[in-house]
Amino acid sequence: MRRVISANNLLLVGVVVVGAALLGAATAGQFFGPVSVTSFFRFLSVPILIGLAQMVTLCVGQLNLAVGAIGGVSACLSGVIITSWGVPPWIGALSAVVTGAILGLANGLLVVGTRINGFIVTLAMSQILIGVQYGLVGTTTISREAWPEVAAFGRSDIAGIPTTFIMTLLVAVAVALFFAQSVTGRRLLASGGNASAAQLAGISIDRTIVIAHTISGLLCGIAAFVSISFLPGVNTTVGGDWLLPSFAAPIIGGVSLVGGTVAVLGTVLAATVVRLVDAASPIYRFDAEVVNFVVGAVVLGTVALGRLREVQEARRASVLRSRRAEAALAEVRT
Amino acid sequence: MSSSRLSRAAHAELRSPRPLLVVLIIVLVGIFATLKPAFLNGPFVIAPLLTSISIFTVVGLAQMVVLSVGHMNLAVGQLAGVGALVMGASFENLGVPLLIGMPLGMLASALLGAFAGWIIARTGVNSFIVTLAMSFTLMGLIPTLYERWSVGNAFTVKPAGVDAIGRGTFRDLCFGQVCGSNAIPLIILPALACMAAIWYFYACTRVGREVLVTGSNPRTAELSGVPTGRRVILAHALSGLLAAVSGFMLAASTGSFTPAIGGEFMLASFLGPILGGTLLAGGVVSVVGTALGITLTAVIRKGLELFGVGLETLNVLLGIILLAALATGRIRGVFARRRPPKPVESAATLAAELQDAEGVR
Repeated sequence: MRRVISANNLLLVGVVVVGAALLGAATAGQFFGPVSVTSFFRFLSVPILIGLAQMVTLCVGQLNLAVGAIGGVSACLSGVIITSWGVPPWIGALSAVVTGAILGLANGLLVVGTRINGFIVTLAMSQILIGVQYGLVGTTTISREAWPEVAAFGRSDIAGIPTTFIMTLLVAVAVALFFAQSVTGRRLLASGGNASAAQLAGISIDRTIVIAHTISGLLCGIAAFVSISFLPGVNTTVGGDWLLPSFAAPIIGGVSLVGGTVAVLGTVLAATVVRLVDAASPIYRFDAEVVNFVVGAVVLGTVALGRLREVQEARRASVLRSRRAEAALAEVRT
Repeated sequence: MSSSRLSRAAHAELRSPRPLLVVLIIVLVGIFATLKPAFLNGPFVIAPLLTSISIFTVVGLAQMVVLSVGHMNLAVGQLAGVGALVMGASFENLGVPLLIGMPLGMLASALLGAFAGWIIARTGVNSFIVTLAMSFTLMGLIPTLYERWSVGNAFTVKPAGVDAIGRGTFRDLCFGQVCGSNAIPLIILPALACMAAIWYFYACTRVGREVLVTGSNPRTAELSGVPTGRRVILAHALSGLLAAVSGFMLAASTGSFTPAIGGEFMLASFLGPILGGTLLAGGVVSVVGTALGITLTAVIRKGLELFGVGLETLNVLLGIILLAALATGRIRGVFARRRPPKPVESAATLAAELQDAEGVR
């Protein structure tokens, strides 16, 4: 319980409340209107899902630069098989999840098989997949008219909360349970925390890396499914702007960059904060570029501050230790 | 004595990926030239090819200097963009000549690079995250500043000399009756100057060697009295400076300073050094290798373009080349050393040590 209500999460909740209140005040309460709330949550699903996707790879000390490319290819492939191959819309749209998982698996196998730095593997992979995505749809947009049932699901809501957002929260809960309760989840955390200790305990590092990349790809696939369901259509821009939010959410949410930790609630809250900045841009009339600027600066600040705090704590601990040793020494002498 | 040193150097050269790159480049040029004689057209194919090789070699060097301390710089493209922005703004809005505006842009990028290096050195945060956040911050800042400072989102005023560097060829340089070839653009001169300067820095200066030592083992370097923090900052500053030069070269060759400058630099910046044998782990650099790696990718690009291969296929190919190059390097490393990969090794040695300790007891 203490882990869930950490200082970082409380701070994030505070930021969300204050931010929402500010936006509410700036729009004279319109921000809390039913239409506005529904659209706020509708566009929140993808940032949460890709943040979780990045979090899973960060947890084993890897990273995934291909989140956007995996999501983009999954979404476009679904669009193509529905329109060109006549696959039923639901099966076609849900196949994005499978595509994502397969691409993630490929990432993991490449990292383990070639022993190349995961950064380079996923960078090269993203380049390849962006090419594939362009090859699939070219410059055209496949309209959502081809999958009316799925589009209706994407537009549906339960008491003003979009169904896709509720689904996203369920996925987040599943991820949290996976890391808290399942043996595989604990193994992932152990191998990220200390690879050699995990190996001596009989955990296969290679297997955990492959599993982490596969889950990451799967979550990107779910994000692709959500995109298919609520976007007006799929084209080469799907996934193009996922990279920064995917890192921003876990990092601001308190996930360590060296591996061994996860923070599902933190990631969800941080994605909400980023979404608030996004929602503020039309109200205060600043460009999408400014959103990038703010989010980038916040990530930089969070990382630097967190690390400085760690260093200071270590220093304080060592001072404390030396004082205690001196006291013990004095006791022995007298 | 000197002959044995020479033969050792020759052996080292043969073991590096550079001879393979040279052979590959020659073979590919041969194939393209026989299948498409137009490939050897001086002013229309060779000159643009050399121009892009020159620009991207400098981009590759900008990445190489951070790789030399074991870091990476994901903001290479955006630092190039900032350099071009400051240069363009000072040319157009302040009306300064080339020799003042260009150093201003280089200084701006170098300072930003040094700032990233300072954060990394001071806090110990992964360079990947710091430069990624930096690149997004700048990605937001650059278009905003172009909007504010320029008319029509681009700077087109160019002081004397910019066009000559960006678009001139050696035909413009005449010594009496003898003129150069119009197949060789003048823009290779700044690239060669950068290569020479960086080579000299790493091969002949004390500070350069200290940067390499920092990259190969930061702890050993620290214990040997190398100010590792300052060397890290220096490497990142140098990276920013080179990025600004590459931004200027791209702007000069296309004719205007726009927010799009640097957008395509990231993958290429890794391709060149990695193909050329620079280690991602730090401590080893190769200036000539970087240039050769860039040349190989540029030749492949140009050749396939002549065959009408689309941009998307080229992207796929470049990604595959990067993976293949690293995988072959990896395989070669395994065969050369015949040593199991690292994690297994650490576990094995630990077990052996435990056994030894028990034996002693």
